[in-house]
Amino acid sequence: MASTSISKAERSYIQAGILANPPSRADGRSLYDFRNIALETGVAPLANGSARLSIGRNPHDGSGGTEVLAAAKLEVENIGDGGEGVEGGRISCTVSCSPAAYPHLSSNALDDLQYDMTTILNETLTHRVLHPPNLGILRGKKAWVLHLDAVVLYDEGNVYDAVFMAARAALWDTKVPRTRSVEYQAKRKGGATKGNAEKEGGSGDMDVDEEVVSGFDTRQIQTATDFELPDYWDEGEPLGGRENWPVCVTLNIVQPSHFLDATQTEEAATPLRVLLMLAFDTPYPTSVLGMRTLGNGELTAAQIAELLKAGEKYAREIWTSLNAKLKEETMNRLKERSKF
Amino acid sequence: MISFTSFPSRFAESSYDSTRHHPNVKDDLMDLDEYEDFAAQGSLNKLTCPGESLTSSQAYMRGHGTYVDNEEVIASVAGTIERVNKLVSVRAIRSRYNPEVGDLVVGRITEVQPRRWKVDANSRQDAVLMLSSVNLPGGVQRRKLESDELQMRGFFEEGDLLVAEVQAFFSDGAMSLHTRSLKYGKLRNGQLVTVPPILVRRLKSHFLTLPCGVDLILGLNGYIWVSKHVKTNEQEGEEGFDAEAVYSNVNDDIDDSTRNAISRVTHIIRVLTSHFVPLTDVLLLEAYEWTVEHESTAKDLLQQEFGDALVASIAPSQ
Amino acid sequence: MASRVEILNEGGYRSDGRRQFELRTIDIDLSQQGHADGAAVITHGLAHVMVSVFGPREAKMRSQTIHDRANINVEVAVAAFSTGDRRKRSRGDKRILEFAATIKSTFEPVIQTSLYPRSQIDIFVQVIQQDGGLLQACINGTTLALMNAGIPMLDFVCAVNGGVHSTSPLLDLTLLEENDVPNLTIAVMPKTRKVSLVTMETRLHVDRFEEIFRLATEAGLAIHGEMKGAILGRSKSLMGSIELGSQQRSGNTAADAMDDDD
Repeated sequence: MASTSISKAERSYIQAGILANPPSRADGRSLYDFRNIALETGVAPLANGSARLSIGRNPHDGSGGTEVLAAAKLEVENIGDGGEGVEGGRISCTVSCSPAAYPHLSSNALDDLQYDMTTILNETLTHRVLHPPNLGILRGKKAWVLHLDAVVLYDEGNVYDAVFMAARAALWDTKVPRTRSVEYQAKRKGGATKGNAEKEGGSGDMDVDEEVVSGFDTRQIQTATDFELPDYWDEGEPLGGRENWPVCVTLNIVQPSHFLDATQTEEAATPLRVLLMLAFDTPYPTSVLGMRTLGNGELTAAQIAELLKAGEKYAREIWTSLNAKLKEETMNRLKERSKF
Repeated sequence: MISFTSFPSRFAESSYDSTRHHPNVKDDLMDLDEYEDFAAQGSLNKLTCPGESLTSSQAYMRGHGTYVDNEEVIASVAGTIERVNKLVSVRAIRSRYNPEVGDLVVGRITEVQPRRWKVDANSRQDAVLMLSSVNLPGGVQRRKLESDELQMRGFFEEGDLLVAEVQAFFSDGAMSLHTRSLKYGKLRNGQLVTVPPILVRRLKSHFLTLPCGVDLILGLNGYIWVSKHVKTNEQEGEEGFDAEAVYSNVNDDIDDSTRNAISRVTHIIRVLTSHFVPLTDVLLLEAYEWTVEHESTAKDLLQQEFGDALVASIAPSQ
Repeated sequence: MASRVEILNEGGYRSDGRRQFELRTIDIDLSQQGHADGAAVITHGLAHVMVSVFGPREAKMRSQTIHDRANINVEVAVAAFSTGDRRKRSRGDKRILEFAATIKSTFEPVIQTSLYPRSQIDIFVQVIQQDGGLLQACINGTTLALMNAGIPMLDFVCAVNGGVHSTSPLLDLTLLEENDVPNLTIAVMPKTRKVSLVTMETRLHVDRFEEIFRLATEAGLAIHGEMKGAILGRSKSLMGSIELGSQQRSGNTAADAMDDDD
């Protein structure tokens, strides 16, 4: 498409097709079909986790399609003393859009758009119920900050679903380096002036060594001052609770019907879109982590309940197939590695 | 339905079996004495790329896609060398549309300005459609009035698609269009496909009607309009002109089978052009028959194997 | 960066196992990307850059039009995860703007902008991964993307960087080497051997300059070979499909299929 504005005749052609019985779409999909999705993890070797995702890429010449690159990077932050760190670590998400994705937008409009996307992604993923347990390093001193950066390379419609899927895949792929705290001990009973704390960062909780001598000795807890990486070459362990990251499903609404995975032209013909961010079996069967309407249509409360119900079904499908694909990716990469 | 795949290996095609030399060592492929060669070779599609010397500027004239430096004609785009008598030009394989007077184009209104519309036609600049170059209601040849100027959005507004002919060029190279024919005007009842302009060949007619009840307008600028077949009342002239219908934004009723046929044709065009096969009426018809024969729905064409099979049946040696 | 890594060891090998004048592997992908008129993905070793070209097309802002030639607009975006330490640079970042201006001034004399008065050519560079030679990757990628979009240019522009470690010149530096040795980037036009860009931000003894300059020019020509191969390969495969498609049916096209002034 040269531009996203379309004529009234095109708009009504698309809408009539959605509402027809049986419904028909420009590319012959049914209302609830997705285009083909291509996914690859571990694409950015300098990041702790990364993924590249494309919806609707032409399989032959690679043209068209919405393409998103997402990468997670971990950094150490000081807690207190002017550091930005937060006890237990924090997450910050950014979405940036390549001008190539929106060649017709001015740079100000592009900034607004990426700000909107950043807000939606950041607000959803930084919610405390999703917070991974293993982002702390030293209690009260140091913690990881996880920067998740998503770059929209090309937009051919349904960019929110793509961003969330890519984000989930990148976070799934993220490995947190194992750390071991280093402790400087005061001279005690003629012992060594300096000793190393021993506790190896194990599963889940590895923030502080607790070489307990006396449970009431509060100094003990504060003595660890720094940390080291026991094994530089070790990739580390996956982010805790990586199954919990939500997926997003965009319901494109042409009253009284709705459809999924709109192309850019279809989006231009859709007055109202509803984004639903959902996660499953964690620990509730379904949890809604976010919901947002885009566009200027209106919905009744009853309709929202209905859409939520339908959205739950679609999102579970995305969830299941994305999980299967991510597991397959992990297997493939293990296989790759065992070759060496 | 949702399915995941993997990306094809990005650099699968790059070859590392070729030997690399120091730039001073010429590869055998390079022609050292191109001047002699040039006259000898026919109009075979020989490929070149910018900075390549083609011939001497004393014996030949430079055409598009070339420049002269130091008495040499040098290519400035990557593409095929074309020679007509003493004129040498290079035609880029992929580029924006280069208009010529008389070309049929499909365009989209981007802006309404005083007494003119700006039209995106996939060219280096937006084309211009003057208010004086469209048919006005109430007779083709009447004078335009001030009231026409005030209701220009009643004829065409931003986003509208139209089919028009290239009338002339302005001094800066922008093209001017006209729709002063009953065949031209606003487009309804269908959808647009965009393809690289080189894949739309010049045909006897760019208005095609496929027997499945689908009309096609192959714009030479690479914009293709696929729509429901409308019976044209053959009467030309002022009586046939109905302003209501010509500038209407409302679609006719389109039945399901026509809708299916439209999406199927759209898909065939997408598949063929993604394989970089130029479109002709015969080819499209053959491809359509093939898909009907194989009882495929438009959805099947989304699958790569199916698309490949289609192209293979059209161009067997591919 | 006080690295303990030897830049050039006694055996004449560099930290990544290359010889002094050995270039990194170049991979070029010219396939269609999104809706760009021309695109190129290029990697020099681990450096990975993606360039999309739009145009020549109607200028987005009328104030940007130039009455007798096309306006070239270069925008560079650097992915925050492209470096070892995450760094978010906004589009207004001075360093990025300067970088974009360098690319623009390199290509302005090479693109035949006078053919497209009042138009605009947009060059969008997306840096995906950095490992030294950022400018060279961006320039080479831009050359390829422009050609892929069919925009007329006088010649290829082939860029390469080089540096001098004590007295030994090195070519195509990685990030590690760039941080340790004085280095420069040059862009050469192979046909005339004219150099359209030389940048150096470090100090280098004047006696060493000439040698590295000469070597880098030569390396530029070697890179030209790679780029030309990629462009011709792409043209060949596209023309192959066009010919196959039209061979059997050549009788159906109108006689006037001759586009001599196209």
